[in-house]
Amino acid sequence: MQIIEVEGLCKSYGENTILSDFSFKVNEGEVIAVIGPSGSGKSTVLRCLSLLEKIDKGKITVGGKVMVKTSKDGKAEYAPEKELKKIKLRLGMVFQNFNLFPHFTALRNITEAPVHVLGIPYKEAEDTAMELLNKIGLSEKVNSYPCQLSGGESQRVAIARALAMNPDILLFDEPTSALDPELTGEVLKVMRNLAAENMTMVVVTHEMGFARDVADRVIFMEKGKIIEEGSSENIFTNPANERTRAFIRGFYGQE
Amino acid sequence: MLFMEQLIGFFGSKEMDAFIAQWGLLLNGAFVSLQIFVLTLLFSLPLGLFVALGRMSAKKWLSKPLEIYILIMRGTPLLLQIMFIYFAPYYIFGKSYYGRFAAVIIAFSINYAAYFAEIYRGGIESIPHGQYEAASVLGFTKFQAFTRIILPQVIKRIIPAVGNEVITLVKDTALANIIGVSELFRVTKNETNRTATVTAFFYAGIIYLALNWIVTKILNSLEKKFGYYK
Ligand SMILES: Nc1ncnc2c1ncn2[C@@H]1O[C@H](COP(=O)(O)OP(=O)(O)OP(=O)(O)O)[C@@H](O)[C@H]1O
Ligand SMILES: [Mg+2]
Repeated sequence: MQIIEVEGLCKSYGENTILSDFSFKVNEGEVIAVIGPSGSGKSTVLRCLSLLEKIDKGKITVGGKVMVKTSKDGKAEYAPEKELKKIKLRLGMVFQNFNLFPHFTALRNITEAPVHVLGIPYKEAEDTAMELLNKIGLSEKVNSYPCQLSGGESQRVAIARALAMNPDILLFDEPTSALDPELTGEVLKVMRNLAAENMTMVVVTHEMGFARDVADRVIFMEKGKIIEEGSSENIFTNPANERTRAFIRGFYGQE
Repeated sequence: MLFMEQLIGFFGSKEMDAFIAQWGLLLNGAFVSLQIFVLTLLFSLPLGLFVALGRMSAKKWLSKPLEIYILIMRGTPLLLQIMFIYFAPYYIFGKSYYGRFAAVIIAFSINYAAYFAEIYRGGIESIPHGQYEAASVLGFTKFQAFTRIILPQVIKRIIPAVGNEVITLVKDTALANIIGVSELFRVTKNETNRTATVTAFFYAGIIYLALNWIVTKILNSLEKKFGYYK
């Protein structure tokens, strides 16, 4: 089943067209890695999906529900507010710089939204949070504040926070880019475990190793367009497009 | 032990009665000052938040007038504002609708609200955008995001700046004497004229200092209370 379907998405900032006629699909249980040079619009795609940006045109369907479509006059027409909120809650998002709430403990970062957005009883939310913290190996940090956590720990809590809302799909925007190299491993490990549990994920990343090993499908984009898309094996060992090849070669050249 | 003898002689003397009477008057005045102080904070702290939010609104019809309001409040002497608010109704409508004390509370409240508004605005704008984005993605309403996520962080950041204003306010209450409110400063002035000595000024100084010592203690403990995270 398709969890996300994007058709003909157009997005510009003023005169600046970022995404033009962008289309892609995410199937249930799939892990998609989105790679591409800086400024190619990778973050913008995720931000449009999570409603942090409004699109100009196009259609986005999440879990069979239309989030936004192009109306007859050619403009984006979003679902009614209430419906939109329901759809939005199907998506979880993990940011590059974590965006944990600094005035809450790790535990409360995770329980706050389930309790106050979903209306789950506190005890239940707390149990779920403890389970999640245990799963990401941070049981002993329950009562730590974000300023007392390392970058890797922060990002793992941020992932738990997103998971606590029980989303159908997780969007990651360069989850390891703000981390010291020795800390990326612990975050990637959590993501690998999620992939193994068939969590649907779209991961914008510069971690080519992760993209190659974990992603079912890799999308290479440049200047707001998908240049090439295929199984990670194809993209990494046998890219059809010259620019994909150059981009990947550039990466391995660096290492 | 001359001093002890003097001290013992002081008890029950006429001097002691005068001393107690003077302190009674000064403390009465201080109580009025304290009322101005508390009422001003009670009104201006919340009012300032609404002014700040309106000032940051994208709606020009809302933000522009508030910008001008802040400019006037911060750009003219509070003394002038107190007099204007007290006398304006009389000169415009031929009668006044409120007394001296109420005029002082109104003037102080709208004046301090302007200062607080700018402090709130600075605090709100200093919160990283990612906090709003995380809140939005988690499904918090705008109101929830502001009250649960943003505002607690803003309060922590603005305590020192608000503290400055609060300490200034303790001293500014003296301005109420301009329209004849019998607060500490006015009482002190009267006492000085009556006794032809400056001891009353000295006592008043002690009282203002004591008030601000308490205010500082409270501010410090507030700062500590919010110090559990960075
Ligand atoms: N709020 C904004 N206003 C104007 N332009 C923006 C805004 N946000 C992004 N852009 C522009 O949109 C383009 C795409 O940005 P985006 O963040 O999606 O790129 P990206 O592929 O995620 O890059 P990176 O790898 O550096 O994160 C960039 O040229 C950027 O300057
Ligand atoms: Mg980006």
